[in-house]
Amino acid sequence: MLLGIDVGGTFTDAVVIQGQQIIVQAKVPTSHDNLLEGLLLALDEILRTVKAGQLERVVLSTTLVTNALVQNEIDDVGLIIIPGPGMNVSAMFPKTPITVNGYIDHRGRRAGVLDTQEITKCKQLAEYSIFAVSGKFSVRNPLLEQEVFNMLNDAYHPLHVSLGSQISGRLNFVRRTNSAYFNAAVWHKFNMFAEAITQALAQRDIVAPVYILKADGGTVPLILAKAQPVEAVFTGPAASVLGIMALHHSCGDVISLDIGGTTTDIALWQDGVPLFAERGANIFSYPTAVRAFWLKSVGVGGDSFVRRQNGNLQIGPMRLGPAMALGGENPTVTDALIVAGKANFGHKQLAELAMKRVANTGQSPVDAADEVLASVCRIIVGAINDMITEHISQPVYKVEDIINAVKFDPQLVVGVGGAVKGLAPLVAKEMGIDSFIPTGSMVANAVGAAVARPTIDITLRADTEQGYYSIPELGLRKSISGARFSLASARELAFDCLAAKAQEINIPQTDMEIMYEEEFNVVKEFYTSGKIILCRVQLKSGVLMPVLGKEVW
Amino acid sequence: MRNKLGLVFFPAFDWAITPTHPERQERLLYTRDQIVEEGLLDIPDIIEYRPRLAAISDLERVHIGIPTIKSLITDAHLVSAGGAITAADAVLNQEVKRAFALVRPPGHHAMRMVHGTRGFCTINIEAVMIEYLRKHYGIERVAIVDSDVHHGDGTQDIYYHDPNTLFISFHQDGRTLYPGTGFANELGSPGAWGTTVNIPLPPGTTDDGLHYIYDNLIVRMLEDFKPDIIINSAGQDNHYSDPLASMAITAQGYARLADKLQADIAVLEGGYSIQDALPYINVGIILAMAGMDYSQVVEPDLDRKKLTQSSRITSYIEGLVRNWQEIWTNREKLRQEEIHKSKGLWVQNRSIYYDADGIMEQQRQEVHLCPHCPGYFSVATEANGPNIGYQSAYATVLSALSCPQCRRQAKDQLSANKKTGNYQYYFLQDKQADILERL
Ligand SMILES: [Zn+2]
Ligand SMILES: [Zn+2]
Repeated sequence: MLLGIDVGGTFTDAVVIQGQQIIVQAKVPTSHDNLLEGLLLALDEILRTVKAGQLERVVLSTTLVTNALVQNEIDDVGLIIIPGPGMNVSAMFPKTPITVNGYIDHRGRRAGVLDTQEITKCKQLAEYSIFAVSGKFSVRNPLLEQEVFNMLNDAYHPLHVSLGSQISGRLNFVRRTNSAYFNAAVWHKFNMFAEAITQALAQRDIVAPVYILKADGGTVPLILAKAQPVEAVFTGPAASVLGIMALHHSCGDVISLDIGGTTTDIALWQDGVPLFAERGANIFSYPTAVRAFWLKSVGVGGDSFVRRQNGNLQIGPMRLGPAMALGGENPTVTDALIVAGKANFGHKQLAELAMKRVANTGQSPVDAADEVLASVCRIIVGAINDMITEHISQPVYKVEDIINAVKFDPQLVVGVGGAVKGLAPLVAKEMGIDSFIPTGSMVANAVGAAVARPTIDITLRADTEQGYYSIPELGLRKSISGARFSLASARELAFDCLAAKAQEINIPQTDMEIMYEEEFNVVKEFYTSGKIILCRVQLKSGVLMPVLGKEVW
Repeated sequence: MRNKLGLVFFPAFDWAITPTHPERQERLLYTRDQIVEEGLLDIPDIIEYRPRLAAISDLERVHIGIPTIKSLITDAHLVSAGGAITAADAVLNQEVKRAFALVRPPGHHAMRMVHGTRGFCTINIEAVMIEYLRKHYGIERVAIVDSDVHHGDGTQDIYYHDPNTLFISFHQDGRTLYPGTGFANELGSPGAWGTTVNIPLPPGTTDDGLHYIYDNLIVRMLEDFKPDIIINSAGQDNHYSDPLASMAITAQGYARLADKLQADIAVLEGGYSIQDALPYINVGIILAMAGMDYSQVVEPDLDRKKLTQSSRITSYIEGLVRNWQEIWTNREKLRQEEIHKSKGLWVQNRSIYYDADGIMEQQRQEVHLCPHCPGYFSVATEANGPNIGYQSAYATVLSALSCPQCRRQAKDQLSANKKTGNYQYYFLQDKQADILERL
């Protein structure tokens, strides 16, 4: 039995899956002051039906990290950067950094000496107990970051230090720095939560391993998440995408919608696989290296406030309360759905009253409702089309990829969420394609969490001319003998290291895949003197199994 | 102040002239690494564009390929020319203030008449872009500043008879470097005299020399010419570490030039110090064009280099600038003298060597000057090479503004020539009808 708990903005949902079926589910209001309370309430409701010993795995999808960031309940972090020459980054981070001299160049060569005085003599640093350290090209050579790390440990005995190179193995100094900063900022809060949840589960005799859902839809053991809590940001939308994946076996190109109260999250699926945000997610306006599904959020949903201004309909993005049909005071999209006969709950007369309020002179409530829904569709379809355009015009760096350009030809809209039943078919109709709403879509997030696969990813880069390879995520830099090392050897080595890491943290080593690879000859004086090989591999993300969308209330 | 910059980055990771040639897959690898690592692609004011494919008709607005242009190129050329066009569209559609086509393969050695690849170039991507702009946006006056270490002889050839294109090339002296041309006395044919500006520089010229020339000469030329648009052929092989040349320009020198020049569109040309120069120069140019702080973009090994310009070079450059200032001041009078001297016909015979394909071309250009219009010109070519054997062609080029009388005369001459059958192929490149016609 797999238990998934999703702490959402309004409700905390829990489901237990056995043999592709939802066998128990629970829904309680989210306790915003202390997320753990609501979480345990949902858990205890589940434990009335299921024995603790029957659970094989527990996966938590929580807004803890997102909330901590949004509510600014984060630690003050000493941010140290080693930027070397380049763009002026002094104003690019959430926090003014302390800059240390030193440089690693693009080949991972030490090109500027670390100025250690700045660390030992900087009085400011003594004020911090948590640090983030990030250097340019540290993924090519983590040496300088590690030297700073050692120095901080010796001088200030910090509680925690986040290193950019261990947060992400990919190029992008600014993103790694932001990731390391946010990781350090939520580290303490997350670790307190992890401690509390571990205790609470022990008290309930739950011995099953506990996993945390990440923004990329993969799960990691709690113990690993404690080191990299920033990856647990934005798990709600990730859980939703996984839920859709579990409840509907998508193939071909698909558009998925999660239509909630005030927002609609849109994802694109190419050949049945959701697309990722290529470089990482943004936290507030700061680009980070946190892997995440590529989602666009538009500010319309079931509770969006509808009004007419200067003759024009305005929808959202704010919510002023529930639908009038449900006792609210202002017209909403839901009222339009009820009047148009696309939803069947609440007081229809009150919904009609709502539509009268937004109707033009002489316009019937039904016509007004249709106009509202058409506007909502236009907003959503506009955002979908923007995403498709962005996707197919993504820059590529090979002639081959220009000639054989990616196409995106959606055939289906799959929807989940509160207001989806009325809206998804309208959106699909507007686009001239079909729609599908899986049953069980009301607990899609918890289902997604329950069946999410454990994932890890690593980046191996070999530079045979210099005779080394590195895997920054593992803090690894080793020498290789040049001549025979090829892309095939890099792949094999990367898979071995990935399997070893999986074994170490006790997750299955199955379904490894290559995400990206490239191979270049290094030429010196007209002779090939080595190769530069990059190979990024992961344990495949996605769901462990499909789930039959039958709710059990 | 920040400006929105369009960046068409296309490193063509799957294209090379040969695997160990300077134009190989690896050329922009380290530049890619630096751009990505700096986080430049996340800057909201830097918008990355995917290059479109240029059409053959875009190429034929400039080139006459023997036997056809299509037979001489690869898809990569359509992408890099298309990349330059994409950059230009972004600027002219006002999506961005400026744009940088950081693309390969390069183009400034490709001339109008094309038998093969010379100086790593087959298609002159700037010229293709400029003629596209003239056709689609009605741009007339164009200034090109070629900052590649090699003389942009292809661009010079294409615009040698065009008074509406100011071509300024500074480069290492042709007596010491490929292609061996670009001397101060190459000034344009009489009708376009003084709109070709060559500034040959001695090996060892530093940022000081380059900026002296910019501040005391180029800036005034640009002001006087009043171009509708400024193009930078942004070659990067003037760098002190470039393996193919002997100059001493730094990333800061290039970035400051980009900052002063404020080109509407920059297009990458050469630059073969792929590890030690290109990553830094390109970051510098991108930041400068985006109006951002580039002062910290410094090569890690610069401290150790101790680049200073000898007093001999400094005084040589000062003399060169003085000479040019005088020519520039009197250019209108001198141009009239050239026109008068020509008596309506200007002829040039020359040999052109295609280093990549070992082709030797003999070319005769005849420019027919007209008191009412820019006139017209013809190009007669014969080429020999190991892969092509012997091939010959005769082409007449009509400008968009050629008057009816010139048009008639040009066509008559072309058909008379065709009757003699001295050449294998006959072409009419008609800018007014926007076609390259094969007769
Ligand atoms: Zn060059
Ligand atoms: Zn005429």
